[in-house]
Amino acid sequence: MLFTTDKQTQEDLNIYGKQGTDSILSLFNRTSTLNGARVLEEMFTYPLSDAESINKRSGMIGYLKVVQAGFPFSSELFDRAEQYLADTDERTKLSTERPSLEKQLTGLVAADAHYKQIVNGVSALIEIIKQLDSLLKSTLLVAGSPFKSDPETISIVTLLAAEPVNLLLQESPKHKFAREKLATYDMQLRFRHRETIQRILRYIYQLDVYITVAKVAAERSFVFPKALPKEEHVIKIDAFYHPQLKNAVPNTLDIDPNNNLVFLTGANMAGKSTFMKSLGIAMYLAHMGFPVAAKKMEFSVLDGIYTTINLPDNLGIGASHFYAEVLRIKKVARELNTGKNIFVIFDELFRGTNVKDAYEATIAITSAFAKKRNSMFVISTHIIEAGDVLKERCANISFKYLPTRMKGTVPEYTYTLETGITDDRHGMIIINNEGILELLKKGRETIQ
Amino acid sequence: MSFIVDKQTLEDLNLLGKFKQYSIFSLFNKVNTTGGEKLLIEMFKTPLTDPAAINKRSAIFKYFQSRQFSFPFSNEQFSVMDNYLSAAGGKYHLVTLIALGKKKLLGAVIRDEEYQKKLSNLQQTITLLNACKTFINQFSNDEDHPFSNEVLAVKNILNDPKLDWLASAQNTLPSLTQMAAYDHLLRHKMQATLTTVVEIFYQLDVYIAIANLAQAKGFEYAQALPKKDNLFTATALKHPGIEKAVGNPVSFHHNSNMIFLTGANMAGKSTFMKAFGINVYLAHMGFPVAAKEMQFSVKDGIYTSINVPDNLNMGYSHFYAEVLRVKNVAEEVSSGKSLVIIFDELFKGTNVKDAYDATLAVSSAFSQYPKCFYIISTHIIEAGEVLQQQSNIQMLYLPTIMNGNIPAYTYQLQQGISSDRHGMMIIENEGILEMLEN
Repeated sequence: MLFTTDKQTQEDLNIYGKQGTDSILSLFNRTSTLNGARVLEEMFTYPLSDAESINKRSGMIGYLKVVQAGFPFSSELFDRAEQYLADTDERTKLSTERPSLEKQLTGLVAADAHYKQIVNGVSALIEIIKQLDSLLKSTLLVAGSPFKSDPETISIVTLLAAEPVNLLLQESPKHKFAREKLATYDMQLRFRHRETIQRILRYIYQLDVYITVAKVAAERSFVFPKALPKEEHVIKIDAFYHPQLKNAVPNTLDIDPNNNLVFLTGANMAGKSTFMKSLGIAMYLAHMGFPVAAKKMEFSVLDGIYTTINLPDNLGIGASHFYAEVLRIKKVARELNTGKNIFVIFDELFRGTNVKDAYEATIAITSAFAKKRNSMFVISTHIIEAGDVLKERCANISFKYLPTRMKGTVPEYTYTLETGITDDRHGMIIINNEGILELLKKGRETIQ
Repeated sequence: MSFIVDKQTLEDLNLLGKFKQYSIFSLFNKVNTTGGEKLLIEMFKTPLTDPAAINKRSAIFKYFQSRQFSFPFSNEQFSVMDNYLSAAGGKYHLVTLIALGKKKLLGAVIRDEEYQKKLSNLQQTITLLNACKTFINQFSNDEDHPFSNEVLAVKNILNDPKLDWLASAQNTLPSLTQMAAYDHLLRHKMQATLTTVVEIFYQLDVYIAIANLAQAKGFEYAQALPKKDNLFTATALKHPGIEKAVGNPVSFHHNSNMIFLTGANMAGKSTFMKAFGINVYLAHMGFPVAAKEMQFSVKDGIYTSINVPDNLNMGYSHFYAEVLRVKNVAEEVSSGKSLVIIFDELFKGTNVKDAYDATLAVSSAFSQYPKCFYIISTHIIEAGEVLQQQSNIQMLYLPTIMNGNIPAYTYQLQQGISSDRHGMMIIENEGILEMLEN
């Protein structure tokens, strides 16, 4: 089954970001090859949904991090090889016949572009294969490497040992080929064994991604999460933080079936959204087998992730923000109804409607969500009164808050999660800080 | 002093914007000419604060509505004339003649099109001036009406003997010398006076268009009273942009300066508040209003807080944005101005207790300024129960009638406080809770 998520979630977590802005993808998007970047993007589009493949991928990247592997190929080689392979026109096939005298003479004056491209392509492929061979031997296939048991690596090794690839290994890339030999290579590489060659290249692009991600993990000291079987329904995440923030404050969270809903309160500036985004990003990356910004992470694999953090309000149509939220909840409810176990984040649930409706709706929706023990929820709200009711109604809700410390009248934020419901009532404090009531009182006195 | 209105208010009430769907400007923008449109934009941007000026303008509209003229000219005709007249001609007759002669020669030799173009512009201007003359002469001289000064000015200019040739020149091709003479007269000697004519015709365009719209939509004119009367009354006030809108009576005075409005989400609270704001604004422009028997003391300005945008990029939450808006209004109110103020569902982004405290404190503090008129809507009926004891606050609500599961709305104001809410019903109608039960 595919891991499901949607555009709203990816926008909330800033997975792809807008063109030219920093995003989670751009954090990792430093591959040497252009096609590597494409493979990376594909991995972001399709997170994994079984523990085995997640652990396998993170194991391989983790290994590359430990051995500090570098990408030994020059990216220009791949440009040459791809350009060469892209030409699938049979008529450009190099013939084994000796060219006519006339052609030879023209060749002397102006080099034959076709011929040159074939020479370029074949020599690039020779160099790529040779370097791959040495990378395999020096790094990937040594004792203790997870690549040794990777089926794709094993089949690549087999391909390297078979014709025609094994012939390339004996060539020297600087070697000037006899026309006849070049024609044979051309026919084999570009036409007969085209698929084999492309498969090898794809393997290298994937390596490019893994090596890049390993480097990022090393630079930023990210850790590799351990995927647990689906049935355990737990998340344990130590000291996680937002990977895009400098000096982010780490937090720790445990979720299990007896504590599967986190009810988060706190003042507006206390960092609720950042906390939720950090958690969402960690869960997303973890399902890709990628390293996360945390000290330690274990998680049961889920079927999908849905967040609602910046729901676009369409205020032009009046009361529709509330309705947009209702529809969003309906979408999540439908997913839950199909029996999926998903990870759900709702930031400032029902912020668009009046407090009375928000109060009732928050209680109804939260307690209904809490019954889905195998899914996990993080819900933040400003309606702290709803928390008191939920405390009595559902035993499996864990109440957390981000505190505000008042220094005189100036609020300060710790960004460190605490247990309980906030008792900060900032509404009146803010109004008093702005001096609205005094302003009105004073004005009346001066007028009189 | 000009009438105070800010960007937030203009957007809440959707007043301006030619290309904005359903903007009040586009509702009224039925003028024919670009010049008329400019004038209309100007009127929309600068409502008046002098009751005499307001009543004078509405009297002009009323007069035109009674006469039911139609503006017989197209925008193309007017823009040709406007462009032609506003491009100043030569100072000396001789220079004009030589320049024209040169153009004619060029036209003959190298097929330069400029002479032909000039000729055609001149001819069109002559035709239009003749038409203007016919139009303006249908106003009789002895009639006394609020636009008579302007009409007389145009008449005097167009009936000037210097322009007697206009009638005969319309259907004949002028010679080079004639053309130079006309050109010199129209664009140099009489340029300033003729510009006045064009401007007055732009005014006519606006007055006729608005008067005819008022006739078609059944709008009426409000009577402006001096500021010190501190009064507002209207029967059947409705939203001008909504066909079949339900009219409601509204009244404010010194001892009753606040409406505390309750009702369910779809019951029409916002529409009612917007309708009130829009009509107040239109009335200050001297424009026809969607209300009957409306009388109002002029105010210094209007502030609304209906759709306050949160500025999350600047770190402002919705709540904080609202607080800043209220503060902004409080500053204006406490400086002693007479204002109209509309607050729709304040303090959404906070907890129930704070929303209650804040609504109560803020409403009660504002209501102490009798020179300002307020409409405040909320779902926190408990605040209403406390505010009820203040005699200057009117408790009104918009009712919901339930037909089984389906709510119906009358849009007719009632006395009292309503506890209707439909948030949960919307959730139930979507079947979300059942979905989660399974």
